[in-house]
Amino acid sequence: MLELTIAVAKGRLQDEALALLAEAGAGVSSQDLSSRRLAVDDESGRYRFIFVKPADVPVYVEHGIADCGVVGRDVLLESGTDLLQPLSLEIGRCRIVVAARTGVSLNDLGMLRVATKYPRIAAAHFGARGRPVEIIELSGSVELAPGLGLADCIVDLVQSGRTLRENGLKEIEVIDESTGRLVVNRASYQLKAKAIASLIGALSNKTDR
Amino acid sequence: MDQTEPLSRIPTGMRYYFGPEARLRRTVEETAMNIFDGWSYEEITTPTVDYYSLFEHGMGRVEAHRAFRFTDTDGRLLALRPDVTSAAARAAATLFAERERPLRLCYAAPVFRQQPQSHAEWRRESTQIGCELIGANTRVADLEVLAIAAEFLRRLDLEDNYAITLNDVGIFNGVAERLKLDPTSREEMRQLIDVRNAADLERFLTPYTSTGEAQAFAQLMQLSGKRESLDLARRVISNEQSGVALDRLESLWNVIESLGLANCFEIDFGDVARLDYYTGLTFKVYVTGAGSRVGSGGRYDGLTASFGKAEPAVGFVVDLDALTEVLRVRAKDSPELCKPQPQKLEIAAEMLEDSSASPSELFLRALERRANGERVSLSLVGKSIE
Repeated sequence: MLELTIAVAKGRLQDEALALLAEAGAGVSSQDLSSRRLAVDDESGRYRFIFVKPADVPVYVEHGIADCGVVGRDVLLESGTDLLQPLSLEIGRCRIVVAARTGVSLNDLGMLRVATKYPRIAAAHFGARGRPVEIIELSGSVELAPGLGLADCIVDLVQSGRTLRENGLKEIEVIDESTGRLVVNRASYQLKAKAIASLIGALSNKTDR
Repeated sequence: MDQTEPLSRIPTGMRYYFGPEARLRRTVEETAMNIFDGWSYEEITTPTVDYYSLFEHGMGRVEAHRAFRFTDTDGRLLALRPDVTSAAARAAATLFAERERPLRLCYAAPVFRQQPQSHAEWRRESTQIGCELIGANTRVADLEVLAIAAEFLRRLDLEDNYAITLNDVGIFNGVAERLKLDPTSREEMRQLIDVRNAADLERFLTPYTSTGEAQAFAQLMQLSGKRESLDLARRVISNEQSGVALDRLESLWNVIESLGLANCFEIDFGDVARLDYYTGLTFKVYVTGAGSRVGSGGRYDGLTASFGKAEPAVGFVVDLDALTEVLRVRAKDSPELCKPQPQKLEIAAEMLEDSSASPSELFLRALERRANGERVSLSLVGKSIE
């Protein structure tokens, strides 16, 4: 019987998340994985997986369409959604940083132009420091912006730092760390308490090692 | 953009109700008001527009901030009521100051919030159904409002499809006190508990206590349960204030068990919302099919003091619109919920579509049927008034 619907962020985290879920007893068959279907059930029939864009995971879970989800903390911070976050899954570790062109001092500027895919995180970060900023929202290739003169700095997700270096940028400040999180809908947490507790239990055994 | 705003548009978070859904919503509201009446609660209607300062005192600054605000002719700040409890508490302390206690008040009224709490809670106008029991601080008073909430959900055919979670703010407050947390750390701990982040909570507690205790406390805060949660809590938490709160919760649980209601109730130490508002019992109502809670309540003994008469109070609200939405979806399986009450109407409506009848004949028949409690629908074609 179907117990839980789990939303999984496509892309960066997907493979690691599915491997972890499979180890915890919620596995998708390789046949289902290679299909183009966006909603598949696991072999036991207890779990349904839906594959959505990372930014949509909190949306599905907050509305209770999915009971839980796996998504990066960066996406959660940006979405500002009200979800339970019982587990950090120790997958997809990266940093949310401020980066600028090497040799440029941001402290000399009265107002910063910040290019980012994370307008909310950027505004909160500079707001807390009392720095006036103009947020320029982009949907990709953010590292280009300072070199082309669109922005003074960027706020972006960094894993190894290689993309930054190759585009003449250096990390100035770490805003936050990000890892994959298990998120749970507040109502599902109470109404499907048993199923969720057992999923949390199985996953935390796998992440504690 | 075009200079003239299209008149078809309605503002974000506002909506229409009509047809079966409007009827269902009315039925749900009437069900609640009948139950309140059955428990001797008196209906109160509070002003739709009131002073903003009322809500600042009544709800706390953060919650009140979400209200639609505007200024009065004398420059004072007004608000469209974002809750009913504030005004009910004011009435209790002023208008009803001399009345015999306990005071039992109930209401069904729209409330307005400019900023919704979350994406899922998109409504900016929603109708709150609620009751307040003022002037009694006994366990029986707490149980009375819980029993009313449970009766309401049962009456809506939601048996086995709802959960009411219970907690007592004294448990968290006692722990925070014992750890001597400053306001920032206290809030940090509250947030970690609120999102059920056991691992980070454990890390947060490490400087204050032994690893074993931190782990046990983090696990206790993460999962809800029945009586065993209370037993577990007593082993993990030993300070006096929390102990008193656990005693209160346990005596409540004993009665819930003896009434055979334990299957619908849960003890949830992780419910730590609005700790500055509540002073004892807190509870949340969840219903299968709703993505967020549909109701909440608890004891707020500090509220009426802001209006000049300190006295204990307990109450709850449920969101009529969220509940209607759940029932509308469920009604596909049990359509009788949405049907209009007297069901003889089809025939009556047909009979009155006799276009040869004179207006007086037509109305004579219509009035007869109305006197019988039947539903009529007059045919209005081809009889224009000259």
